[in-house]
Amino acid sequence: MMYTFRPILVKLVPKVRLSILGWAGAGMVALTVFLAIFAPLLTPYDPTKAVGPSLQPPCWEYPLGTNKIGQDMWSRIVYGARTILIVVLLSTVISMLIGVPLGLISGYAGGLLDRILSMIMDAIYAFPSLILAIAMAAALGPGILNTAISIAIVYVPTYFRMVRGQTLSIKEQLYVEAARAIGANHTAILISYIFPNVISIITVVFTLSVADVVLTEAALSFFGLSVPAPTPDWGFDLKAGHPYLLSGYWWLVTFPGLMIMILAVGFTFIGESVAEYFQAREVRT
Amino acid sequence: MTSLKVFVIARLLLVIPTILLLVSLVFFIMRVMPGDPVIAIVGMKAPPERILELRKALGLVDESGNPIPLPIQYFNYLANLFRGDFGRSLIWGKRPVLVEIMEHLPATIELAMAGFLVSIILGVTLGTIGGWKGGKMSSAVKIYSAITYALFIPWIGMMLQLLFAVWLKVLPVGGRIDPGLEPPMITGLYLLDSILTGRWDSFVSALRHIILPSLTLGLVISGVFSRVARTSVEEIMRQDFVIAARARGIPEHRLVVHILRNAFIPIMTMMGLQLALLMTGAILTETTFSWPGMGTSLFERIEYRDYTTVQGTVVFFAIIISVINLVVDILYAYIDPRIRY
Amino acid sequence: MVSFELLIMYLSINRGELLGLVGESGSGKSSLGLSIVRLIPPPGRIVDGEITFRGMNLLKLPEKELRNIRGKHIGMIFQDPLTSLDPLRKIGDQLVETIIVHTRVNEEEAKEIALRALERVGIAPDRFDDYPHQLSGGMRQRVMIAMATMLNPDLLIADEPTTALDVIVQSRIMDLLSDLKKSMKMAILLITHDLALVIERSDRVAVMYAGELCEVGPSEVISQEPLHPYTQLLLESIPDIEKPRTKLVYIPGNPPDMRNPPTGCRFWPRCPKVMDVCKRISPRSLELDDRFVRCHLYNGGLECGK
Repeated sequence: MMYTFRPILVKLVPKVRLSILGWAGAGMVALTVFLAIFAPLLTPYDPTKAVGPSLQPPCWEYPLGTNKIGQDMWSRIVYGARTILIVVLLSTVISMLIGVPLGLISGYAGGLLDRILSMIMDAIYAFPSLILAIAMAAALGPGILNTAISIAIVYVPTYFRMVRGQTLSIKEQLYVEAARAIGANHTAILISYIFPNVISIITVVFTLSVADVVLTEAALSFFGLSVPAPTPDWGFDLKAGHPYLLSGYWWLVTFPGLMIMILAVGFTFIGESVAEYFQAREVRT
Repeated sequence: MTSLKVFVIARLLLVIPTILLLVSLVFFIMRVMPGDPVIAIVGMKAPPERILELRKALGLVDESGNPIPLPIQYFNYLANLFRGDFGRSLIWGKRPVLVEIMEHLPATIELAMAGFLVSIILGVTLGTIGGWKGGKMSSAVKIYSAITYALFIPWIGMMLQLLFAVWLKVLPVGGRIDPGLEPPMITGLYLLDSILTGRWDSFVSALRHIILPSLTLGLVISGVFSRVARTSVEEIMRQDFVIAARARGIPEHRLVVHILRNAFIPIMTMMGLQLALLMTGAILTETTFSWPGMGTSLFERIEYRDYTTVQGTVVFFAIIISVINLVVDILYAYIDPRIRY
Repeated sequence: MVSFELLIMYLSINRGELLGLVGESGSGKSSLGLSIVRLIPPPGRIVDGEITFRGMNLLKLPEKELRNIRGKHIGMIFQDPLTSLDPLRKIGDQLVETIIVHTRVNEEEAKEIALRALERVGIAPDRFDDYPHQLSGGMRQRVMIAMATMLNPDLLIADEPTTALDVIVQSRIMDLLSDLKKSMKMAILLITHDLALVIERSDRVAVMYAGELCEVGPSEVISQEPLHPYTQLLLESIPDIEKPRTKLVYIPGNPPDMRNPPTGCRFWPRCPKVMDVCKRISPRSLELDDRFVRCHLYNGGLECGK
């Protein structure tokens, strides 16, 4: 079949210009990604094994000290970057895989299906996100995939709502009607006409929500609901180090928490910058 | 007024399916648990009588030990909820979950209110300054908003503990009040009760204990308020009536008041939207400061795998949030007539 | 006497005079009005120049003293009276606040002054406690005029005061302004895009294009014998209701992008009488009797170009 009308708003890969703030955020995220990728090269010890004395303050041998059981905190921080980034990535992919198609179909089809889906999504959306994730994670049990699923459920409605809204407005556009008039079927219209136009929205939702995803993962692991025990995980280490804080063992909590903040702030800066960019572009056009 | 009445009734009717949906969501989430939850709670080696007892408590089997089909389980669960039965604890001598919740609720409310107050004072002040001064100050407040929003509550709480409780030793590290100083129960809010009963030692102790947790919670939520205050002040400053007021020679200190009045509605809208974040934040803050509220209780129960209590608490949160949203919506309808739809 | 200089030319308004400043939207006429009281919104700013009012240079005046002049000695009214009033405060309170800020009267006396000012513009006293959205557009503009004139200013800057209103209300508001001009001996700067209105109502006309003054002169003279090609085209484009079914005349092209204005005379890309010199050199201002013009056509003297 030949289409006479080309989609006019198509932008497959949204080009985004970051502000200084956005670049600063990108740097913070890049640092974490760097730690995660080159973890074996950066760490002298196995993060899951006792390799030194208990509760050793930061020193030449153990740059960030050791914890109660003698694990090297620097190694745990570096490998912890892997854990959190994998969970964040996985949960984002799951949220998108569920939220985007449902949003497209719901917005395009309308009717009863749309109403039911919207109502369910609104209900989930209204639920305080952390509590929902806690309930889910408590039910599913620990593990990387389970944690990712628990977090993903929370963010499905965010993708759903934005994609649905965008779909609603795009399907009224002239070129979509034209495609329908020349007999394009619904699947073709959804995939080649509507989907390309929701990509910008998906980018914005992603950059704005990913910091929240980081914080939710940290919170779940703080509650002991993320990966099981010896796996290095920042939130878990923060919790594990807390009892020793009162005795002045400050390094156990300072560094894992600092890493959580760097990653979350980095993503927030990127998100702010991207949102600002798209807003400015909307105003201009 | 009739349109307002219609709105309130419609909104009240809408809250019922919302709550039903949320409650069902929790039920099905707890049922997707892989494997046998009972084994997960007590372990493989538990005596069969204990396992059977837990199965009954979870509503999985009937009195004679026959499995109950899922739809019937669901129906029983809803029927119990409708009667105000949130289930019974699996561990703490079968205590009703609702009693447990009610015991911890005042502490959470007190912390949430204090944190809310801190966040409004911090956020609205900074946001107004940023929007008013513009330029570099506006950018600084923008960065403040972004950073505080992305703070991890337990960590910032621990850093405050480290500084003020461990190193400077000026404030208590956690808890809600010094033991033995609890004021007589009236509202359950220690600060209020100690004032009402005139117990100043209790008041001072409760105040000292609430400073760090409310600062932690307030700091994180202030990011949202500073952001909305800054953007609305900036927007209002661009409006004609501000230029017109300047053209009449209205001095700046009077102008600030007028601008804040106009920024009040967007800021208040944002306050309503942040109540869910406030509850979530309260849970994490409580756990960090051993604040004896619902969050700490939930945290403990997760560690002990007391699933009925966890489920009951989550359902309770869901209902609370729906009701809060309902109240906020209706309040707006009273304040701003344009909201009625 | 009130005067200000813009770019190259010198413009002045006298007591009891209504000066109409005409230009397309974006020509800088509103900025000119705002810059008199130094209220150009950032990032805009006044780079250089002089605005003399009561013998003082307003551009050099400390902010505090200038604030005393705003609202007291110079009143301003704006295009949209709805957005020019604080939507959340009663109009009475806004009037009273302005009076209290500028004078030493108490609340009671201020209310009396405000009520008298409202009465003068034809607003009933029972409207004192109304909110802006409870008034009609014309009434709101009357309130604005009352607010701008109640302290007997020497100069009233009226920025498109009638654009947002319908024709009948428009003419009443203009009548009101003319009355105030006569009874209070006020100088009025009427900023508008409506040349027909200015010709009809004002004593003198100043025509502005792309941030520069083209021509200034008494209304009757300008309407009879416009010198600048832009003024000529503007006058031709006023539809004449006497002659039905004539073609609507318009000026081809668009106003220039002010971030990158044309060199030479800014009007040359649209000028029907464009010459080579226009593209290179910005014209000098030429003065004859009571009028100014800036155009290369009259370089050899005013008669020569005719």
